[in-house]
Amino acid sequence: MRPLQTLTALAVLSLSLASAQSTIKIGAITSLSGRFATFGAMQQAGFKVAIEEINAKGGVNGQKLELLLEDDASDTNKALNAAEKLVNQKVPVVIGAYSSGITKPLSQYMARIKVPLLVATAIDETITKPGNPYTFRVNNQSSVYTRSLIDQLKKLGGMKTAVVLTSNDAFGKSVLTDAGKLLPAAGFTVLSKDTYDKGLTDFRPLLNRYRGQNPDVVIFASYEEDAVALAKQIKEVGLSPKVIAGIATGFALPDFLKGAGATAENFLVTMVWNGDVKYPGATSLYSRLKTALGGEEPSQHAAQSYAAMLAAADAIKRGGTDPEKVRTALESTRLNTAFGPVTFRDYAGYQNQNSVVGLITQVQNGKFVTIGPASAATGKFVLPKR
Amino acid sequence: MDQVAVTAFFQTLVQGLLTGGLYALIGTGLSLIFGVMRVINFAHGDFLAIGMFITLLLFKTFNIDPYLSLLVAAPLGFGLGYFIQRFVLSRLGDRLSEGSMLATLGLGLIISNSLLLGFGAQPQSINVPYAINTFKFAGVQVSVSLLIAGLGTVLAISALNLVLYRTELGRAIRATAQNPLGAELQGVKTSNIQAIVFGVGVSFAAIAGVLLMPLLYTFPTVGENYVTKAFIVTVLGGLGNLPGAIAGGLVLGVIESLGAFYVSNNYRDAYGLIAFLLVLLLRPEGLFGKTVKRV
Repeated sequence: MRPLQTLTALAVLSLSLASAQSTIKIGAITSLSGRFATFGAMQQAGFKVAIEEINAKGGVNGQKLELLLEDDASDTNKALNAAEKLVNQKVPVVIGAYSSGITKPLSQYMARIKVPLLVATAIDETITKPGNPYTFRVNNQSSVYTRSLIDQLKKLGGMKTAVVLTSNDAFGKSVLTDAGKLLPAAGFTVLSKDTYDKGLTDFRPLLNRYRGQNPDVVIFASYEEDAVALAKQIKEVGLSPKVIAGIATGFALPDFLKGAGATAENFLVTMVWNGDVKYPGATSLYSRLKTALGGEEPSQHAAQSYAAMLAAADAIKRGGTDPEKVRTALESTRLNTAFGPVTFRDYAGYQNQNSVVGLITQVQNGKFVTIGPASAATGKFVLPKR
Repeated sequence: MDQVAVTAFFQTLVQGLLTGGLYALIGTGLSLIFGVMRVINFAHGDFLAIGMFITLLLFKTFNIDPYLSLLVAAPLGFGLGYFIQRFVLSRLGDRLSEGSMLATLGLGLIISNSLLLGFGAQPQSINVPYAINTFKFAGVQVSVSLLIAGLGTVLAISALNLVLYRTELGRAIRATAQNPLGAELQGVKTSNIQAIVFGVGVSFAAIAGVLLMPLLYTFPTVGENYVTKAFIVTVLGGLGNLPGAIAGGLVLGVIESLGAFYVSNNYRDAYGLIAFLLVLLLRPEGLFGKTVKRV
């Protein structure tokens, strides 16, 4: 979280691993500083927990794993430099980056130099559609998030109109396009579709417009800081739809609950992993991630990163440390982890795309409670009090 | 439906005016400093960030109400500004006006990076229960925090006006602005006056930061967003023109809000910048400025 802790954690990690005689190095790039730093801290915790687990079981093919973690400072160019540095250190595979905007150019670069890239968190459609043979994604793509939300809204029933507001970047636009297609197909009338530039802090004029339109559903896709501002300003302007929903990312963070406080209550948030999921080992993973985060609540991003690291280790175990052989091994990945299943398949125009059950959670009493799909639910949907 | 449209218009207008009030407060500090010393303070946004982080720190460590931190942030901002003018900017001498510009730019970098080192890069906010309280007037719903911010702005600017036009200190400030040499010859200690003015300017930025904190979140480079707004505000009103800065702030707030409401949110920053360019082209002295004659 804090730079000093991050540094200490890195130092401790590298010290403890340096003692191993010959190690297999795995490269990872995430945002440990800059505007995505909170997500970066989650990813770091996920990597750490996975490596500890693997090394405790004796490592891969008798060798311990070593994490080479690079900070991209939430900046695309720095991510590309970091990738070059990692490839020069002969890593067989790289995991990263956090955001879609950074991951997309990164995936093209990795394909050019023919080293496989495991995408843990980024959700923009075009990363795997069309994708390339060297890019593998653990997370669901944004259309699955959007679709599972809209399916759930349809199931809840009694709602007809919707507005969509997303950030003006790869991830936000991806959600906006999908929602624009899926909502009418599910029988919703879309009253407004808007995007906003990063750095915008005053959403009141837009929310005022929505208040006039009086939609049943309001759907957002935003990063951390905007999610908190949106939740607060909705209450300020007096917008009171039946459902306010956030597509993962900023809304799926424990920091969102902390920052937005009571204003976050009853928000629907789509995720692929929550502390209450029913996969075997999930409870233990939750508590190990929490410890790695110094007692803070883990988010899905930590679990995704954990799964990505397991997938990388599994591919190296089967394919060795040659990037090309790791790539081939990744294609036949069949893992069941505490995060959920990990398989990379080609379907419907996607390439090397995992498919996890999309969860719909609702903020109830300041906590994320899974309310859908029925097979995973641990709680029931509550209508917000007007 | 018509009723709804009218209410929505007024709600947007009121919120635009209140947001504009904050822009005015930020712009006034910048304009005051320019008016007296002809220094463009590029660190203005970073002083605002200091105000926000003081609020954050006091809230997180001592659980002090954000508005009470005004009592700390305002004097601290004044002291910091006074110190900077006295011991940094005034020492640059009159050699180059670029010198002071670069110095403030450098100070801004030092401040934002110190904040980064001390608080980390992630956005942080404070969560006070009353931050989401609203009250309704004729169907128009207004946030209490935003209203407090608007009232704080009115208070701060009225106080400044009182000082400028009703006190001996104010006379000295105005004299220094009009003709530093003449003021010095009449017994005004201009170096001291300039330091006071810089202190007041920084203090205004810090106050704006405190007032913003319950509404928003902060991060070390948050100032960048506001320094551009402050420039637009001062140019709209006329550089160095205080009533102009207030009007400029209100105009910018309303233009942005109504533009985002009726036209499109995507070009929100563009509305202010278009107004900025039009004013520079058609009325370079500012919307409310008189053509300034330097003595």
